[in-house]
Amino acid sequence: MKSKVLNILKKELREMFRDKKSLSMMLVVPIMIPLLVIGMSALFEMQMNKSVDDYNKIGFNYEMNEVEKQLAKQTKIKTILASEKELKEKYKNNEIDLYVIKRDNNYIINGEDNETTSYSSSLVENYFSLYKSYLQNEYLSKNNIPANNVINIINVEKNIKQADNYFASFITSYAFLFIIMAITISATYPATDTTAGEKERGTLETLLTFPIKSRDIIVGKFLSVSISSIITGIISLILTIISLMFANNKFSIYKDVNLMLSPTSLIFAAIVIIAYSFLISGLCIAIASKCKTFKEAQSALTPLTFISFFPGLIAFMINIKTTALYALIPFLNYTLIFTDITNGSINYLYIILMLISTIIVILSVLVVIIKQYKSEKVLFSN
Amino acid sequence: MLIVKNIKKKFIKYNSKKQKEEFLANNDISFEAKKGEVVGILGPNGAGKTTLLRMIAGILKPDEGNINFDGFNYLENEIEIKKNIAYLSGNTKIYKSLSTYELLKMCCEIYEVDKQKVESRIKEISKILNMDNFLYNKIENLSTGQTQRVNIARCLVHDPQYYILDEATSGLDIISSQIILDFIKKEKQKGKTIIYSTHYMEEAENICDNVFMINKGKVIKVGTPKQIKKDTNTTNLRDAFFDLIGGERDEK
Repeated sequence: MKSKVLNILKKELREMFRDKKSLSMMLVVPIMIPLLVIGMSALFEMQMNKSVDDYNKIGFNYEMNEVEKQLAKQTKIKTILASEKELKEKYKNNEIDLYVIKRDNNYIINGEDNETTSYSSSLVENYFSLYKSYLQNEYLSKNNIPANNVINIINVEKNIKQADNYFASFITSYAFLFIIMAITISATYPATDTTAGEKERGTLETLLTFPIKSRDIIVGKFLSVSISSIITGIISLILTIISLMFANNKFSIYKDVNLMLSPTSLIFAAIVIIAYSFLISGLCIAIASKCKTFKEAQSALTPLTFISFFPGLIAFMINIKTTALYALIPFLNYTLIFTDITNGSINYLYIILMLISTIIVILSVLVVIIKQYKSEKVLFSN
Repeated sequence: MLIVKNIKKKFIKYNSKKQKEEFLANNDISFEAKKGEVVGILGPNGAGKTTLLRMIAGILKPDEGNINFDGFNYLENEIEIKKNIAYLSGNTKIYKSLSTYELLKMCCEIYEVDKQKVESRIKEISKILNMDNFLYNKIENLSTGQTQRVNIARCLVHDPQYYILDEATSGLDIISSQIILDFIKKEKQKGKTIIYSTHYMEEAENICDNVFMINKGKVIKVGTPKQIKKDTNTTNLRDAFFDLIGGERDEK
């Protein structure tokens, strides 16, 4: 059995490495990861280092007193004084970032939500907080009431552990999610080529006349697609590490953060990549082998690309943490464990559960494909 | 000896109203092929020749009946039988990204040719089929005739007792067809059994010892070409065939 599997594996690998499309899928897709890491880091950096001059032009419809002017200067607000009508016009023409309308003791901050509103708004809110505090102090001292006894009647202190660098955790999580996606994309082409492609080219008939059991044919094909996926995964991992190292040195948003994974984390990351590569290769072969043509198989495999990506994406969005149950759920488990690994927390139980779930899925999928390869309906659907 | 007994094979097809419909591709076919015999399976396109040969080659399974090679059947000895047969069809494609040498070496490994003899076997076959000048070229760069020679070469590597040739000359030019016909004659001389399907009646008349004419999945006549012509009082197998199907000329 072993030698027949090796014969098929050798043949498949030879064909795969000589096919330009298979090679480019295997090697080019991982290049997207450095582009993503560096591109997103540059974007974050741009947002973080936005100059205050880009959002500090605030309009007021009233004359400011000396204290107000002083506080505006202190909070870096550039004041523009005009009538309400003029301010509306200026805002419309993007000459100011927000404007404040005063009616008696009510100050209304006006504007529309855009990319700088949050920055401008927090600037104005800070200004009014300081001004309010000034007015409270002044009122209390006029009435001979110790301001400290009223304003600081209770003292609240923050003792919340600083969260990890948001950008660092975001970029590493997404980089690893993209490794999953790169593996999926790269598995679909060889899986399609070795099954539906072989049917379409007419070489399947030749293969079936050889004295080889369908089980050995399937295992050989499965291993060849898995090897291709593992190569993509490992290249993606290497490129991710290089691009994270580069980003760590290049961008100030990662200051005081170490984006590099420890050697242990790297080993476990490689284990996750290998497990996922086996799983996705099996699934791709199972789906593609039911199709008559290459095109049909590619269409059938498209949803799998999304399925591989979505559970991880949703997990990031609603901040799901790994549990024993989640470690058993295919697709979700890989991204969750990847996130744990990047955060430096390696839970051996979860990794073992992930491996068990992967093995069960792979074995079930292989049984299905072997059955398919015994079915004339699937092999000779024409 | 190959014994094919009461073979039946059904397929599902869709009619013009897109409803499923069963049809019998092979209906109760039986024949025998002895050592050193060339057995011709003749019939028009759609007669059931490919289905029958695919079952003999172990690619399809019969719904009823059995196929027996020297006392072995597919249910119990699939791998052993396949080691001793070679299947070549007009539709058979080979791995174009491999070179002729790589393909033959792969076939030697699959058919478990003695490792010590692999190189000499490839050289020997290359010489017989005059492939020395393109042995190391990729198959995708070869001409149709050269590709067909490679296809024959892969059938020879394991020196099988049975050759199953399904319309092997279909679509080939005269020279390429002749290569295959010469190959059949040589293998027959060596005592090999050849099951040969074709819709070229003249071709069959020249090389077949025994002929089975089939139409619409059923055997309509069995015998030597000479005997069939005599029985139908015709001068060639083409006319004999038309005589047997009652003058129907709806299928070529």
